[in-house]
Amino acid sequence: MDLENQRRVKELTEKYGAENMIVLIGGAEAESAGLAAETVTAGDPTFAGPLAGVPLGLKVYHPVEPEFKESVDPDVYDEQIGMMEMVLDVDSIIEEVKAMRDEHTKY
Amino acid sequence: MRGGEQMGKIKVVHYINQFFAGIGGEEKADHRPEVREEVLGPGLALKAGFKDEAEIVATVICGDSYFGENIEEAKKEVLEMVKKYNPDLFIAGPAFNAGRYGVACGTIADAVQNELGIPSLTAMYEENPGADMFKKAVYIVSTKDSAAGMRDAVKKIVPLALKLVKGEEIGSPAEEGYLERGIRKNYFTDKRGSERAVDMLIKKLKGEEFETEFPMPDFDRVPPNPAVKDITKATIAIVTSGGAVPKGNPDHIESSSAQKYGKYDIEGIFDLNPENGETAHGGYDPVYANDDLDRVIPVDVLRELEKEGKIGKLHRYYYSTVGNGTAVANAKKFAEEFSKELVADGVDAVILTST
Amino acid sequence: MVKEVERAGIPVVHMCTVVPISLTVGANRIVPTIAIPHPLGDPKLEPHEEKALRRKLVERALEALETEVEGQTVFEMK
Repeated sequence: MDLENQRRVKELTEKYGAENMIVLIGGAEAESAGLAAETVTAGDPTFAGPLAGVPLGLKVYHPVEPEFKESVDPDVYDEQIGMMEMVLDVDSIIEEVKAMRDEHTKY
Repeated sequence: MRGGEQMGKIKVVHYINQFFAGIGGEEKADHRPEVREEVLGPGLALKAGFKDEAEIVATVICGDSYFGENIEEAKKEVLEMVKKYNPDLFIAGPAFNAGRYGVACGTIADAVQNELGIPSLTAMYEENPGADMFKKAVYIVSTKDSAAGMRDAVKKIVPLALKLVKGEEIGSPAEEGYLERGIRKNYFTDKRGSERAVDMLIKKLKGEEFETEFPMPDFDRVPPNPAVKDITKATIAIVTSGGAVPKGNPDHIESSSAQKYGKYDIEGIFDLNPENGETAHGGYDPVYANDDLDRVIPVDVLRELEKEGKIGKLHRYYYSTVGNGTAVANAKKFAEEFSKELVADGVDAVILTST
Repeated sequence: MVKEVERAGIPVVHMCTVVPISLTVGANRIVPTIAIPHPLGDPKLEPHEEKALRRKLVERALEALETEVEGQTVFEMK
């Protein structure tokens, strides 16, 4: 996750409290989605940004995951995400993001 | 010395660049050397790996461009800083595929080792130019090609570093995870040479896998071509790895790990400026290049020289790619292809610019 | 890339800032340049001074192309 976004997540978390945060990430590939998820839960795995060594343990989801899909209006979902869902490697993305959440999310 | 006396923690000084120190990106690559008595960036990962055995007492930070443009001064300044702490161990990087950073890490690890006599190591991707330059002189842990490989790198750096400090025996590159150093180690084995050679030959004939005991080094030097006889009649072509492209980067050459190169027509162009040229390169601060691309490919000057008859002709096309983390195999492929065109077009000489 | 151009039979001069890298990649004719973000320029100078500097560097590069060399040779600014 780029440094600017890491900074924003950190600041918002400090302002509103980690238990009140959910991060929704939109990476188009499993590897980058996994890295972003890891960054906001266990800390920046590249140790280059403000979240290096800072495990926020936040709730994090990717829009293609069932937890998100099932909690939003299906028509809006279809309109906004339907197309991308067909071309993305949905299973791999879910696998990567869920793994990070299961292991590192504290809330 | 008393029997049960506990050894203090191993003191480590860590060297990183401006980016991993959180100071900034390319726009801060001219950051002069400074030292902070803190653990920063990747140092946090090293600290976790070392647990109680070692501690980073200071982190030296230096901008990649400052180091690359002032190697002697930067080396001196950094060595002074390291000396002050009298550490037991020095670690630079990991630099992954960042070329300037890798060269800086290799240079400084080598200097600390030789001039201060302190065990040193660094880490980078095998294609980093710093690797070829320093793998024989310094232990370089082999890493992935991006910072996504940080955990993997630290996992290898920590045990090797501890072995180095403690003076323990270092195993083979494959075992310990460092780049081959070109060192031959004699060892005793049960089978005699002749038997091992025959075993290998039989495997080879059968088409089975076998491992050579002596990998040949890769020399690949190309001898220089004869000089240009009459430069006033020569056609000169520009090639660049600085990412120079027409305004708008029409071919979308990637800012790093380029997958393609461009061939661009400068017919009728006598000067590059923000209207007709820009850089696609993501590995250096682009502001100066975007302001005047002649600073990367000297079209304005070559046109003048052409007009004055000092050179025969500036070739109509220039070839460009981005050298930032671009795989060696790709760069080689691009150049093989366009060199054929250069030959076919009767180009007599090439000026190749890099950043 | 320098090696491939050389391999194709065309004399090539590498203009680059970090000379050790140029040596490592196997360039035979090398002209050191000003700085990484602006190898053939210097934004601190007046435009006409900068162009004069660029011209000197390019002329050195042309000299390098006109000089027979045995192996890797660095052509510093005179």
